[in-house]
Amino acid sequence: MIKLDHVSKSYFLGDEEVKAVKNISLTIKEKEFIGILGSSGSGKSTLMHLIGLLETPSSGKIILEGRDISKLNDDELSKIRNTTVGFVFQSFNLINRFTVLENVLMPVKYFKGGADFDAPKRAEELLKRFGIFERRNFFPNKISGGQQQRVAIARALVMSPKIILADEPTGNLDSKTGDEIINILGSLNKDFGVTVILVTHEHDIAVKTKRQIYIKDGEVVGKYL
Amino acid sequence: MIVNKVEFIHLVKAAIEDFGRNKVRTALTSLGITIGVLSVVLLIALGLGLKNYIEGQFESMGANLIVVLPGSGFSGGAASFGPGFVGGAEFDERDIATIGRVENVKYVVPAFFKSIRAEAGGEEKMGYVMGVNEDHFALMNSKVLEGELFTKSDVLAAAKVAVLGYSIADELFDRPEDAVGRTVRLESIRVKVIGVVKKTGDNEQDNSIMIPYKTSYGSLNPDKTFWTIYIGVEDKENVEGAKDDIRTALLKRYKKDAFSVTEQSEILSTVNQIFGVINAILVAIGSISLLVGGIGIMNIMYATVTERTKEIGIRRAVGATQKDILLQFLTESLMLSVFGGLLGLVLATIIVLIVRIFFPASINLFAVVITITISSAIGIFFGVFPARRAAKLPPIEAIRYE
Repeated sequence: MIKLDHVSKSYFLGDEEVKAVKNISLTIKEKEFIGILGSSGSGKSTLMHLIGLLETPSSGKIILEGRDISKLNDDELSKIRNTTVGFVFQSFNLINRFTVLENVLMPVKYFKGGADFDAPKRAEELLKRFGIFERRNFFPNKISGGQQQRVAIARALVMSPKIILADEPTGNLDSKTGDEIINILGSLNKDFGVTVILVTHEHDIAVKTKRQIYIKDGEVVGKYL
Repeated sequence: MIVNKVEFIHLVKAAIEDFGRNKVRTALTSLGITIGVLSVVLLIALGLGLKNYIEGQFESMGANLIVVLPGSGFSGGAASFGPGFVGGAEFDERDIATIGRVENVKYVVPAFFKSIRAEAGGEEKMGYVMGVNEDHFALMNSKVLEGELFTKSDVLAAAKVAVLGYSIADELFDRPEDAVGRTVRLESIRVKVIGVVKKTGDNEQDNSIMIPYKTSYGSLNPDKTFWTIYIGVEDKENVEGAKDDIRTALLKRYKKDAFSVTEQSEILSTVNQIFGVINAILVAIGSISLLVGGIGIMNIMYATVTERTKEIGIRRAVGATQKDILLQFLTESLMLSVFGGLLGLVLATIIVLIVRIFFPASINLFAVVITITISSAIGIFFGVFPARRAAKLPPIEAIRYE
């Protein structure tokens, strides 16, 4: 469902060109639970942003569900981010001036033509499933980090995406809370068939995924650990 | 760019919610536009008021008034100087009869003018004697202060009666009302005052002693001629036609440049043109404050975009298009501006209602429409740059922004 074909991404820091991702080819199948492992600065986050269409490759092709994303315009890319992909970030990235429930419903606002499902009901179900329903009218900065990350996962799931991209989701959490988050992601894959791509620098966490890809200096250096 | 009604309501609701979170900032930002709109609307209202006031003054002299003067050109105050000042026709009763036959003519007033020394009870004053007929009072909208006006039979009988203007009556007698029943000497003739008219504000009229024109025949007006003929027309629309007909009728007797036929509204339109220019300048000055208000909105919107950079990134990550972000910020700036504009309009209306006690200022639909249009335009114009910056932010850089 996701195919990267000789994908590279480089930036310019001043005059210096930084190659964050170098010539990576990769295929991720439907319903996979995959870990992208690498140290900080290895290019793993950039790789994830490329898969999540938050960035466009400098060269190479990304095929998502049979569509070459380099040929899509802003509206089409936004639609894929809205409906097909859900993001979970290290720093949660909730909007503090909105309540928990408003944050979870945020993607629904951008679904063109209005939601064809009962969005508030679905948001409430997700919050209940993650045990934060009682916190629905709280503002994000008034709840714990673990709770915030659950809100973020609920937000990622509200549009029922096929793919969840989690970028160091446990990075800002203690290990116990972190484990709970990984368990939630695992159950999404196992029980609901969501493709989960987990980016991390921790081996302990990466081993919980079904397949690991090791990234170093922007290149895939080993597929199995 | 197409936005459907539901989306627009969402955008407006979101903007209002954001304003609720930043009440002070919203109020201060809108204030710039409020002051701008307030000054523009007030200046328009005062300009309109001034125009109405001037028009009212003309109206009191009779807007459907046509003036026939000797000489070719129209000269503003020439009537004050009396006959003989400008060469040309000297009108007489024949002309009165000629003009009286023109279609749509309601009143024909022959007017003999003379600057004169008036005496009454030992007091002496310089004034004007006006030999006119009974229609003069109707044509000039004269209002009786005391006594009565002379009638057609007084005119035909050359009765030795007079109606005094307010100022001259006031100067010759203790109180203007006291003039009624008294005798005034105008050089060689004596006339009995039968009425005093209210103040008109026109110096010449207020200092006039009006007598039947036939009474002036003799020592005052041995030639039996008139300096001016005033004509009142039935309807405003007929003024132009009547003017042409009068000109044609008089051309049978006089040469083309021996007389002129002018209407009051020609002077009015000149005055209106002058006020139009003054008004435009005032509005231009007022618009500077609108511009400043608009720049204030742009400034705040840039600050808001920077402040919400991370939020913009998050929204993009969950599926917001560039257009969604653009519209979000554009709606905010538009509403800031329109809120400010409407508040300015309300304040201006209140001030105008108060000012009306002293001065005929007025707010018209034009001012309202222009206010809403201009404040919307300002909101969009000054909002589009910050909104575009927000929309063009690369999502991932925005998300990382702290």
